[in-house]
Amino acid sequence: MVRPYAVKGKKRKTREEKYDRDEEEAAEQVEEPSKPAMGDENGTQGKEGEQFELEGIPIAPTTDQNPKSGPGVIFILEKASLEIGKVGKTEQLLNSDDHANFLKKKGKNPAHYRPDILHQALLMVLDSPINKAGRLRCVYVKTEDGKLIEIKPYVRIPRTFKRFSGVMLQLLQKLSISAVGKREKLMRMIKNPVTQYLPVNSRKAGLSYSSEKLVSIQKYVAAAENNMDLVFVVGAMAHGKVETDYTDDFVSICSYPLSAAYCITMICQALAGKWNIL
Amino acid sequence: MAKKKSSPNAVAMKHQSPKPNPFATKSPKLSRSDDNATTKETKKKKKNSKLGPKAMAMKVQPPKPNPFETIWSRRKFDVLGKKRKGEERRMGLARSQAIEKRKKTLLKEYEQSGKSSVFVDKRIGEENDELDEFDKAIRRTQRERQLKQSKKSKYNLSDGEEDEFEFQSLGALSQRDDFEDDMPPEEDEDDDGGESGKKSYQFNSADKDGDLSDGNENRHKSDKERYAEMILKSKNYKAEKSKEKDENKDLMEELDKKFTSVIASKALTNKSFSTEYMKKHEVSATQIFGTSEQEKSDSYDKLERELAMERRAQPSNRTKTPEEIAQEEREQLERLEEERQKRMHPTDDYSDEDIEDAEKPSTLRPRSISGDDLGDSFSLEEEPRTKKGWVDEILERKDASDSESEGDDSGSAEDSESPEDYGDEGSDEDDSEGERDILNKDWEQSDDDNLDMDLDDEEEDSDEHEKDDEAYQKELEPRDLKRLKRNDAVQASKSDDKSLGAKKLPANKQSSIQSDLPYLIEAPKSMEELDALLDNLSNADIALIIHRIRASNALKLAAENKKKMQVFYGLLLQYFATLANKKPLNLELLNLLVKPLMEMSMETPYFASICARERILRTRTKFCETVKNPESSCWPASKTLFLLRLWSLIFPCSDFRHVVMTPAIFLMCEYLTRCPILSGRDVAVGSFLCSLLLSITKQSRKFCPEAVTFLQTLLRAAKERKPKSTQDSEIDHLMELKAPRPLLYIHECINRIDPLNFLTIMDLPEDSLFFTSDNFRSSVLVTVIETLRGYVGIYEGFSSFPEIFLPISTLVLELSEQENMPSALTDKFKEVAELIKTKADKHCMQRQPLQMRKQKPVAIKMLNPKFEENFVKGRDYDPDRERVERKKLKKRLTQEGKGAVRELRKDNYFLQELKSRDKALMEEERAEKYGKARLFLQEQEHAMKSGQLGKGRGKRRR
Repeated sequence: MVRPYAVKGKKRKTREEKYDRDEEEAAEQVEEPSKPAMGDENGTQGKEGEQFELEGIPIAPTTDQNPKSGPGVIFILEKASLEIGKVGKTEQLLNSDDHANFLKKKGKNPAHYRPDILHQALLMVLDSPINKAGRLRCVYVKTEDGKLIEIKPYVRIPRTFKRFSGVMLQLLQKLSISAVGKREKLMRMIKNPVTQYLPVNSRKAGLSYSSEKLVSIQKYVAAAENNMDLVFVVGAMAHGKVETDYTDDFVSICSYPLSAAYCITMICQALAGKWNIL
Repeated sequence: MAKKKSSPNAVAMKHQSPKPNPFATKSPKLSRSDDNATTKETKKKKKNSKLGPKAMAMKVQPPKPNPFETIWSRRKFDVLGKKRKGEERRMGLARSQAIEKRKKTLLKEYEQSGKSSVFVDKRIGEENDELDEFDKAIRRTQRERQLKQSKKSKYNLSDGEEDEFEFQSLGALSQRDDFEDDMPPEEDEDDDGGESGKKSYQFNSADKDGDLSDGNENRHKSDKERYAEMILKSKNYKAEKSKEKDENKDLMEELDKKFTSVIASKALTNKSFSTEYMKKHEVSATQIFGTSEQEKSDSYDKLERELAMERRAQPSNRTKTPEEIAQEEREQLERLEEERQKRMHPTDDYSDEDIEDAEKPSTLRPRSISGDDLGDSFSLEEEPRTKKGWVDEILERKDASDSESEGDDSGSAEDSESPEDYGDEGSDEDDSEGERDILNKDWEQSDDDNLDMDLDDEEEDSDEHEKDDEAYQKELEPRDLKRLKRNDAVQASKSDDKSLGAKKLPANKQSSIQSDLPYLIEAPKSMEELDALLDNLSNADIALIIHRIRASNALKLAAENKKKMQVFYGLLLQYFATLANKKPLNLELLNLLVKPLMEMSMETPYFASICARERILRTRTKFCETVKNPESSCWPASKTLFLLRLWSLIFPCSDFRHVVMTPAIFLMCEYLTRCPILSGRDVAVGSFLCSLLLSITKQSRKFCPEAVTFLQTLLRAAKERKPKSTQDSEIDHLMELKAPRPLLYIHECINRIDPLNFLTIMDLPEDSLFFTSDNFRSSVLVTVIETLRGYVGIYEGFSSFPEIFLPISTLVLELSEQENMPSALTDKFKEVAELIKTKADKHCMQRQPLQMRKQKPVAIKMLNPKFEENFVKGRDYDPDRERVERKKLKKRLTQEGKGAVRELRKDNYFLQELKSRDKALMEEERAEKYGKARLFLQEQEHAMKSGQLGKGRGKRRR
């Protein structure tokens, strides 16, 4: 069931994942030149593959040569309710359905324990075409009790809620989740001010129904500078309001209150429209 | 008393000293180095118990709580509802407790470290503080006992005290006695035994009891009472026994009565015996206890034995409801159809298996009269066969396969120049065993095919299905009709058949009347014999003879019949061929021959396919020779045509590859391509071949470009010759045959188009005037256009449909605009042209222009997170248990090590404090002494200096 551990002699990766911002930047700089090379590789590979398929028919040039090169988008999901409770003998991720009685017994309001919102929102983000095109840089989740989780864009989030809660439980307890068959960490808990991970040249927009500034998301996205990374802060909670101090803007994109998942979908669609991702 | 010496260093040493198992003790930090291991453990316990919440509550009670002790430890990750082990721990409290403990242990040791001797209390129980006075006393007594149990005391007379235990055990025994009394005695002897046992118990107890006061109640009963009780019980028991006996007797009688009644009602199958028995029983019933009891029991036993020995009714399969049967049939039909479809498609690899596959159908489809719809006329004969049990079928199959092998041998002996396929067939014999079940399937499949095709005919046939094979002659009429129907389908326009059949009908009846034919006919061994047998006989008689030959030499009857029948089959085929070549044609006889030929080829499928292949081969070689001579007509004779038609009926046409049908198709196509069209007769033969091909390829939709091109050529022949019509020569030059002259060009307008009778045409001489008549031409054109329509219908699914048929459609349109064309014909032309056009348009609509292929953008690769279902924190999910274990131990080792180091550090700190305090104390003392001394000295000095030392003092004192 589980991947056996690596052979004993093997050392861990020499290059540790750096959590500090400066080093992260450095790492990005290091990575950047490698990216186009990778793209080229893909392209040549593709061409080689095509040549074997049908000789006479030319292949249309791809519209987007290097999708990763353009500006990206970062999502921050605020106030996600990820809390572990010891129910009976086992520890579980608390949700309002299964643990209503438990929560009531402990004097908590079950309506606040909604990890399913986060699940849906993550599915929407990670399934969106902008992610498939490689434009999603990262997703950060900040929990109700202040823990910060970094989620890589190439995670395949479990589709069922039960499995999702299993992943989250393990993440909260082990502080990181690695990929199947790899040492790479897909999700991990990181140190707190999220601003240290955000790119310098980025536009940070918070979304809230309560905001006075009602804008059309298409226009709003289109108005953003082309080479600027975008950061959207969306609340993943059932009740309340996102309160952050690092956002430049605080907008409402619909005159009705939206679910987090749908709000994210709207943003993703607008971005896909802007970046011509079909 | 013992001396013990220890120093602070020794304390530390003890901590670090290698324990046998560092993990055996739960918390070494609590362990103090003590002299006694027991005290150590108990102290640990104490500590643990103090850690518990209760102990803590007690601790909290004291009036002066240390403010530091009330501070609780902080939790890093708050988990709702989780109670952690160390949660209740207060750091301050724990510290003060640790200090207390050190004071108790380490301090004492330290204090004694300087001493040369020490008191050790070795009194029993004194070493353990936890024991109270009572426990200590118990220990002391125990020790005393142990000493007494030594060897010396073994022979001492026991005191009264020791007997006490024995009394108790005896008391238990006597209680068991009581229990036994309650048990009902089963038999007299048993009772006695029990009694004696009881007695012995009591004796024993009485012997040993002595002065036991609280014993069993039995003790109080006198012996007399007990015996009286005993007697009563035994009497009771006897009465019960007799009562039971009576009841049994009554039951028996009742049973006997019932049995006689059962016999009287004759429910038992063995009637004679039952009546016999009845009599006896009656006799015996009168005197139940009489002398005849023995007899009675004997007879009864006999009957019983008989009943037991009788074979039981075997459970059989439940009779199926009609719905179930229908359902089963349907399922089977579906399965068979699926198989047929499978065979219709090519297999991927062309290896040896493929050859086998190709081989199989011929063998496996003995009954496959018609993969197509044309075998409808023979469903009659097959229906009754399927109604036979499947066992019979298997038997038949067995015979058939046996005969196949023989036939193969003979076949290979016969034709030495046979192609390698024959050799393969030889190898197939080995497989015949395994194939048998498949054979069965195919058997049914062929039927199924027929059923599929003949849904319309089914109703008419249904009454005839009931009839036997014996009612053979009567069936001739409907079969003839069906043969006609088939001919119509072929569209060779043999309309005269009807009249022929009608003419022959009365003759049939006559022949059936005068039946002076021999009933048992030996199978003829040579052509001459057959000719002699069949010479000058009416058609019906010939059919009857063949039937009788087959019946008298059935494969099932004798082993040598297989060979005979194979020879006979070859002869019959030969006879069929010669008959087909005769002029005038005896069509009815041919029709009659078809049925036995098909049935026989079903019986010996290998042989039939060998014969067919051989004939095809021969025809082909002959054709290759004749085609070299451009003058003579190389079109096949009617014999070949009839044989081809016969094989198309016998063998499945829809198979992708078939031993007989594939070469047959190739042969026909070769005819169509290579034979030059010289006369009207050639035209007729060619169009017949086209329609035959159409009927063969109808289901499998194989593409026969030869046939289509031939039809096109014929149509072109109908066109008026124009000098400039050389633009379509691209097709012409592909073919050997040309239409040198407008053979089919209609010069004059005709009103009526007669359907063409192919047989009469075949009978006509080649230079007959009829071939040049417009009437003939128009009817040929009708058949051509109908065949074309058939091909259009078949090939409409092909993606190259427009390319195949569009040139023809233009040709047809041109023809329809020609003058002198009969109106019916023009209508047909237009219709077909329209049909082609619509279908071609449909295809053209579906065609997509050539496109540049787009490269789909590649999505980023998603990775699955690795996680456990039901993750529990702290559990190692490593599948290697040993490694997990090792890891755990290592972790504990480090933990313990750390704990030990911590403890040692704290010990040292404590001792340091202690020492420093002592030092300070000593220092103080010394300082005080020093001060005193100094004071004294100062005083002295002062006194001396002041002069009091000498005079003053003395003066004063003095």
